[in-house]
Amino acid sequence: MLELQRNVIFGQFIDTGSWIHRMDARIKLTITFVLTVASFLIDSFVGFALIFPLLVLIHLIARVPLSYVLRGSRLFLGFLAFILFFQVLFYPGEAPESSYLWRWGFLSVSTVGLYTAGILGLRVIFLYYVTTMLMLTTSLVDLTNGLELIFRPLQKLRVPVNELVLVFVIAIKFVPIFVGEVERLARAQTARGVPFDEGGALTRARRIGRLLVPIFISGFTRADLLTTAMNTRSYRGGRRRTKFRRLHATISDWLILLLVIAWVLLAWQLPDRLGA
Amino acid sequence: MDQIDHAAAPPIIELRNFRYTYLEGTPRASEAIRDVSFSIRRGERVGIVGPTQSGKSTVVDSFAHLLRLKAGQVFHDGEDVATPGYDRGALRRRVGIVFQQPDSQLVEDVVGADVAFGPTAAGLSAEETRRRVEESLDALGLPYPEYRLRYIHALSGGQRRRVAIAGVLAMHTPVLVLDEPMAGLDPRGRRELMELLIRLQKDRDLTLIVCSASLSDASLLCDRFIVLDAGRVVVDGPVREVLREPGRLAELDITLPEPVLCARELGKLFSDLPTAVLTEDELEAEVLKRLGLV
Ligand SMILES: Nc1ncnc2c1ncn2[C@@H]1O[C@H](COP(=O)(O)OP(=O)(O)O)[C@@H](O)[C@H]1O
Ligand SMILES: [Mg+2]
Repeated sequence: MLELQRNVIFGQFIDTGSWIHRMDARIKLTITFVLTVASFLIDSFVGFALIFPLLVLIHLIARVPLSYVLRGSRLFLGFLAFILFFQVLFYPGEAPESSYLWRWGFLSVSTVGLYTAGILGLRVIFLYYVTTMLMLTTSLVDLTNGLELIFRPLQKLRVPVNELVLVFVIAIKFVPIFVGEVERLARAQTARGVPFDEGGALTRARRIGRLLVPIFISGFTRADLLTTAMNTRSYRGGRRRTKFRRLHATISDWLILLLVIAWVLLAWQLPDRLGA
Repeated sequence: MDQIDHAAAPPIIELRNFRYTYLEGTPRASEAIRDVSFSIRRGERVGIVGPTQSGKSTVVDSFAHLLRLKAGQVFHDGEDVATPGYDRGALRRRVGIVFQQPDSQLVEDVVGADVAFGPTAAGLSAEETRRRVEESLDALGLPYPEYRLRYIHALSGGQRRRVAIAGVLAMHTPVLVLDEPMAGLDPRGRRELMELLIRLQKDRDLTLIVCSASLSDASLLCDRFIVLDAGRVVVDGPVREVLREPGRLAELDITLPEPVLCARELGKLFSDLPTAVLTEDELEAEVLKRLGLV
């Protein structure tokens, strides 16, 4: 609890200077989009098994320590397991009588329920991994520029692209700030006699509840400060801003994108073809 | 107050080859303390001085076990605070820390509730808690009836700092640590706080530890300085001894007391003028002596 930053890494950026870090942000965003779509298309364990080596490859190239990512996802994975547990117990769909392993009133465990929860779990983990990896390897500046460039055509339709991108990026960056805030308050309370580093999971969870109101208040204060800071610097959406860093995509970037798309198609289509 | 022989008792706080790295084992690790050893005895008034990032806050946070400590480095009353099963709650009722940012100390929205937080958590009766809240707020010049129900978020920075200090005072800890308490206070606020701390230290027989980037704040409050730089102890000794080498301190970007600065300049005139002068009066006396006027 005193170093919560270890257990929640969502929204952090770790510069290992890898090849993925230096890739054009637009390509990375597109790949993330392709993989997001893939997470909804793939609906079999074989499919996920086929896409898994791609994730391993991404991880090896990015050189972000695996232990760091795993420990930093503990809280998220725990939460997911909690949800899936209930998903299995309250499986609402029709299941053939033979698939029930256990039944008690409206609670049940069936193979169909387990299968559905398993696929759902893999989907969520896949999505989480892809977005976390995007943020771990892309600086905020690159992320903003990349999103603005991708959605620029929408400006013709009077969509406030730059403002939307800004809001999105700030929202992401608020996660680590929020985590830092929880850490700070936990430390303050610990110093003053309510220990956040002791007690079982339930005691700790109850103590976290006490932090919610102060955290929201400080969140508003921060948002207020940020607005003032941007106003005093005369920030106004992107069109007239000059960019310090320019993005540029190389041939290899495009080739990688093609490779990812091919891989996704394979993982999506191959299990069906094999089954048929 | 107590009859224990202070020299024979174990030091109230001791660091032995203390090292600390934040977020150790992650790509974001930052090494804060490289090797720090010292011990502080009961009733001492110690200034921990050093430029920003030198590790002052990390060192004092270790006193109350607010870090992920390893065994064998931090001792309280001769006991290793990182041994499993060590009563950290009791430790925190003995070591009160006023954080560098008062805002990171405050846990409630209303002044009275915030100051009452520590005593309540320690299990004191409502009556005793109220008494302590009143006493602490009054001591910091925030009259209890007037400030009890005020919203902390609506107070000024200086007032929030006072509330933070009151919250720690109300816990009546035998060790009181203040991390850069003078920052953000106006000269009058500084003087008042200084006087309050000197008075409290005497009345309650406190062990007082004050972090500062400026020797001028700390020199009037402390008898001993521990000077840190880049996570290591550079100098540790009585105030006057430390002030004897002002050149070294100035190199570390530590603000020296006015009289010491003057004495350094005047040293060009009087080569034997000591630089270890704490007040203008002392400086004046030394200069007059050399001018043959006394
Ligand atoms: N919560 C933290 N997480 C990561 N690094 C930290 C944290 N707090 C302090 N540090 C690092 O530890 C070093 C010492 O900081 P600190 O103890 O605050 O020094 P000081 O109080 O003298 O300014 C700095 O390099 C700082 O960046
Ligand atoms: Mg500090």
